[in-house]
This record gives sequence, C-alpha cells and structure tokens, in this order.
Amino acid sequence: MDDKCSQLWQKLSAALKPQVSADTFKRWFSAVELVGATEKTLSFRVPNNIYQYWIESNHMSALQAAVLSAFGEPREIKFICSESPVEDMETIGVSKENDSGRDSKPSAGSSLGLNPRNTFESFVIGPNNEIAHAAALAVAQAPARTYNPLFIYGGVGLGKTHLMQAIGQYVIAKKKNTKVIYLSSELFINEFIDAIQHNNLVKFRKRYRQADLLCIDDIQFLAGKERSQEEFFHTFNTLFDGHKQIVLSCDRPASEIANLEHRLVSRFEWGLTAELQPPAIETRLAILRKKARGMQIKLPDEIFEFLANRIRSNVRRLEGALMRVASFASLSGKQLTREIIEHLLKDILQEEARTSITIEQIQRKVAEHFDVRLADMTSKRRPASIAFPRQVAMYLARELTKSSLNEIGDAFGGRDHGTVLHACKLVKRRMKEQDNIRQTISFIDSSLQR
Amino acid sequence: MKFTATKEKLLEGLQQVQNVVSTRTTLPILSNVLLQAGDGSVHLTTTDLDVGVRGSFEAEVEKDGATTLPARRLFNIVRELPSSEIQIDVDGKNAASIRSGQSFFKILGLPEEEFPPLPKFEDAKVVTIRQKDLRDGLRKTSYAISTDETRYVLNGLLFSLKENKLTLVATDGRRLAMVDIELEIPRSQEADIIVPTKAVTELQRLLSDGGDVKVSVASGQIAFDLNQTLLVSKLIEGNYPNYKQVIPAEAKERVTLERETFLNSLRRVSLLASEKSNSIKLNFSKNNIDITANTPEVGEAKESLPVQYKGRDFSIAFNPEFFMAPLRALTEDEVFLDLIDEMSPGVLKIQTPFLYVLMPMRISS
Repeated sequence: MDDKCSQLWQKLSAALKPQVSADTFKRWFSAVELVGATEKTLSFRVPNNIYQYWIESNHMSALQAAVLSAFGEPREIKFICSESPVEDMETIGVSKENDSGRDSKPSAGSSLGLNPRNTFESFVIGPNNEIAHAAALAVAQAPARTYNPLFIYGGVGLGKTHLMQAIGQYVIAKKKNTKVIYLSSELFINEFIDAIQHNNLVKFRKRYRQADLLCIDDIQFLAGKERSQEEFFHTFNTLFDGHKQIVLSCDRPASEIANLEHRLVSRFEWGLTAELQPPAIETRLAILRKKARGMQIKLPDEIFEFLANRIRSNVRRLEGALMRVASFASLSGKQLTREIIEHLLKDILQEEARTSITIEQIQRKVAEHFDVRLADMTSKRRPASIAFPRQVAMYLARELTKSSLNEIGDAFGGRDHGTVLHACKLVKRRMKEQDNIRQTISFIDSSLQR
Repeated sequence: MKFTATKEKLLEGLQQVQNVVSTRTTLPILSNVLLQAGDGSVHLTTTDLDVGVRGSFEAEVEKDGATTLPARRLFNIVRELPSSEIQIDVDGKNAASIRSGQSFFKILGLPEEEFPPLPKFEDAKVVTIRQKDLRDGLRKTSYAISTDETRYVLNGLLFSLKENKLTLVATDGRRLAMVDIELEIPRSQEADIIVPTKAVTELQRLLSDGGDVKVSVASGQIAFDLNQTLLVSKLIEGNYPNYKQVIPAEAKERVTLERETFLNSLRRVSLLASEKSNSIKLNFSKNNIDITANTPEVGEAKESLPVQYKGRDFSIAFNPEFFMAPLRALTEDEVFLDLIDEMSPGVLKIQTPFLYVLMPMRISS
C-alpha cells in the first residue's frame, strides 16, 4: 500500500467503522487493502474470494456509504483477489455492472430522459391550458387516484411533453422509489420489435408492467401497428388494474387517430381527456416574459408585443423567435427596431402567416387575379370562366387552410365535399399538364402568404 | 432385445434415471435412455454429460441386447399403460414394440453405440458413508447453495473429507449451512471437492434410509455407488472459499426455540413482509420474542413467543425465507439461536454438528 492509498484507507475506515459492527470490521475489513484509487474507482485487495463474496453480498451498502462520506461522491468499487487471478477478471466485471447500476440511481430523473427544465414551475398557465395543467398537477400529486388514464392532446409545441415530464419529475422528487417510465410511443414500438427479435418479451413486459407511472408521448404513432397496439393494450390493462397511473399524449383526440383499435380508443377516453389550445395573446406575452427572464435578457415591451402578436400558433416557435432576437441583439449590439426584427424573423413570420390565411382571403385574391366577381365564388353559375377560378380557390383553400372538405364546400356556397375533392384533383392534374397554370397558381399562393 | 417386466418395476427404474435426461436438443441421443437387458435384469442409463445415472430393474429377459429409446416418451407411455405386464421387443433397427394388454406402441430409438459411456474410475479415492447420514447432511445444507451463476464455485456443495469427518458446506454469500459427519478417512483418501447442484438434487432422490454409499473421487469426477444405482458427476473446478472466516466467534446471547412453533410464527408474520425489503424483525425482551413485519401502505403483523431469554433488549432483522429454510430442513424439536448484536450474523445450531450462519438485514430507523 503506498502512502496515498494508506491515507485514503485510513480516512475510509474511519468512516466505515460506525457503519458496521466491531466484529464485522475486524473480521472482514482489517484484511482488506486499498491498492488503487482513481477519480472514479477504488480497488481493494482481499486475501481470498470469500471476502469478496461476503462483502459484496452483505456490506456493500455500508462501504458505499463510507465512500460517500469520506470522499463526498460515490466511486466504483473493485475487488482484486490475491488467490485466484483468473476468477478476478470475471468477478470484477460483474461488480462493475452492479455498481454502475447503483450509481445511476440518484440522478434518476435525467436518466429517464426527462428534461429537468420541464417542471410545473416553468409552465405558464393561461386559459388555453388551465384544465390540462390542473389535471396534470392532480395526477402528479396523487398518481392513480384521480384521473387515470390522463390523456393530453393538442397541436405541436403547446406543452404536451412539458406537462408529462413535469408529472414524472414531480412524482420522482416526491417519492424516490417510484418506478417512472417516460418514453415516446415510437421508442415503445422499437423496444417491442427488439424484444420480439431477441426473444426478450418477458423482460420487456416486466419492464413496462411493473411501472408505477407510465408516460407515453405521441401515442398517435401507434396507429397502424397492430402487434404493438395489442401489446400496449395488455400493458395498459395490467397497469390500470394494478392502480398504476398512465399518462398519454397525442396530437389529436383519441377518436380521431386513424387505424387505432376501438378498444384502445375507448380506454384512452376512459379517464380524463384534457386539451391544450394555442395560447392567447396574454399568455403568449407571459410566456415570452418568463422565458426572457430565464435567459436573462432584457427587451423593450414593444418587441415582446410584436412577437406575441405575430407568432400565434405554437410556443416552441415563439421561444425560438425570442432566442433569435435575443442572440442577434447581443451579437450585433444594434438597437432593435421593428424592421430589423421583421427581417430577422422573415421565415418564421411567413410560416405563421400561412396558418392564418382564411378562405375568404383566398377567394378575394383569386377573384381579383382572374378578374371575376367575389360573388361568383359562391354562386351557382358555372361557365368555365367562373368555374375554373372557383376550383383554383377551392384547391388553395385545401392546401393553405386547415379547413375540412365540408367546410370549404360550405364556404363556396354550400357545395358538397365531393365537389371540392373533384376540384382539387382537377387543379392538381392541370397543374401537372400545363406550366402556365402551375405558375399562375404558385403566384397566387406566394402573394397570399406575403 | 426382448423382455417382460411388471409396470411397477419398469416405472420405478425409469423414475430413478429420467430426471437427468438432457433438455439440450443439440445432441438428441442425450434425451434417450440406454437400456441393456441380460441376466434377469435391465440396466437403465441416462446422462447429460455433466451428471449420469445408472439404475436397473428385474425383468424376464428372453433375448439379451441393448438399445436407446426416448426417455420422456417411454416414461409417459409406461405410466399410462393399463395392465401390469409389459413386454418390450426391440428389432435390429432400434424400433421398440411395447405391448401391454390391449395396447400396442411402437417407438423409434437410436443405436446403443451412439450413447456416451459413463466415465471410468481408476486410481480413485474411496470412502464409504451410511446413506442415512449423507441424506440428512444434504437435506440440512443443500438449500443454501447459491444460484448466482457468476459465482460458479458456489453453485455446488463442498464435500470436505478431512480429519476423520466429512464436512458439507453450502453458501450463497448471505448465509452458510454446514454439517459434519464423522467418518473414518485414511490420510491418503482426504480431498476437498465441489459437487454441482444438479448432482446433489439427484443424489437426494436416490439415497434411502438403509445401506451404505460408496463415494469414489477421481480427477474432476465423483461417483456415488448405491449398490443398485450409480450416480456419476463432473466436479466444479476451483477452490471453495474459506468458509470458516464467516463463522462468528463467541455468541453473546443464546435462545432456545421450539422449531415448529417458531417456524409457523415466522411463516405467518412473513405474509406481511414487503417484497422490496423482505425482512422480518425479531425484538428480544425478557423471556419474550416479538416477531414483526410491516410494509408501508399494506399493513403489519406481529406475533409474540415466550422463550427463555435473560439478555439485554434488542432488535434484529432477517430475511424470513432465509430463516425458514433451515427450520424446514431440520427435524429436531429444539434449535438454538446464537446472537451477538443487531449487526452481526446470527447462528442456528442443534445438538448435533450443524451450523447455519445468517446475515442480519439493516434495520432502517
């Protein structure tokens, strides 16, 4: 034992003595030598394998605790047995695995794939997400007692993942031993396929069916995957019957997921379904202010208002825009004006504009371009000079708005969805066949989005 | 080959050997049983290349010969046959015709030559033990054998033949069971060997109350000859850990327990030991033990037992399963529990040379 090791060992044994009985210390640890110490590992030499077996089986927690109190952080512990060198290699490998398993526990949150920033505290509440937030908080405070399953749905970037991860972290923080599993349905499917491939189904099932809280993100990806749906169905039932909390998120209501078995749909709708809507202007402002404070940047109020006004659809984009503005300000050092920002966020604003196009705008633009009356868009008359512009307008309405075929039909003077569908097909075909038509339509399209 | 035997004899013979039959499908011959007829009896042999068993049963042999037949299938057929007389007739292509009353079966076997022979024992060390002693010894220790495959030297039972006694030791790192059997062992026959779990289990099934067993130890092999049956096994290579290190020196407190009463109490209380911590607590006070278990969010159990105890008050926790295993295996009415303090191992003893060391669990305060 060199000097450094013997010093460390003295420190460690002082910490270890109160942890074990005097007899245990004398019997097992007096013959132990510390032969190597690095930042991560401690190597102990023991006289023969019974020392290793017995210490590993019975005194590992005491030793780990002593290491923690002596050095302030956990280390990997290795045993070197002076008797039989061949076996050492194997058993060292084993103890390594065990230890790393143990070490990873304290930081459970991050290893689960939970982003530590996604907590309830950092979630901005507004009228659009009040219910979802309250439900998520209730679930986190009393898992499986209130709403089971909790089904959160809403468009992209509205906070589904944030809420789910907040639940996971809240539960772990409150009770360390709770088994929380958070993953996307895509990962679930991949692991399922993997388990089938390697004949590991039992392990796979054990992993998921013993969870206390199972959070599955983006459940819509289960659509069309029949075996995975079946597996998930049984997992769901096992957990539900065992009074374990299940939280699901989706980008649309359960009943609208195509190719999802009815028994799953009905189960998803069983507990509480909470919708996340795009935030209103006040909420958007609040989000921007909170975010700016978090990033420690200061911006004039009018810029906040400008961003909140122009970016309506999704929080992620809002944060991205704020980030871009903030980094531009700090890099260039220029005074921020409306024009600069507009230029800076050109692409985002254009994207935003696309979503806010209304059928009426399209009709007006198309009528103007083809020089027909706006009233012709909705009239029953159908000479070719009017019918074709009307069809173009329908096609654009289909492409640029989120309206359904029926809604578009209604907006065009109560036509049925078949008419709209026919119009879209026809325009598409003619666009393919005739270059000038394609150019015309793309011109109208781009002028609409400006 | 052709012979006739009673159903009971045939079934008994097959039962002795069929557990060893290999489940490995890579070598089909290993799922077969070797039948050798001649001289008024039929010998049966099975092996999985690690452990092999050879037994026999009485039969009227009409034609000597040998073949191998699928063991599990033969056993299932014989078990179901209605009549007591069974005739087995094997043709030159190893197809066996089984006749019994109105039933007729034909099963296909493999040639005798393909069956791996059991190892020969030359220059072996030999000791003879009373079957009853060995069976008792195995029963008292075998439950403590480790099933952790990474510690392969612990996946078997230590047979230490030294200083005129056979010491059997099993441990899994949290508990240790040990028995001494007095035996005359010449210096030249002394040995330390590790017998794998499967051989121990089979041996326990074969040993009876009467007669002797001849144990032969050759390099890497052991054979137990029980007159009618023979069990051979490979040994686990390596050195068994120095188990003596585990046994605590002097005990501070000793309590005498009625084995069955205590076992029943433990079993009842352990119903409420949680799966996670899996511990029961023994709280000692003057002339009394309280056995308690509790699981948060489930409930708790408590049972009091009057005992002779005059030491200090203290509590110690154990894994209930590890505590009950030796109590089930023992037959004595009284057992002694030796304790030092709540962090040191407890030791179970009886009047005869037996020892069971059990590590306590940490009591979380």
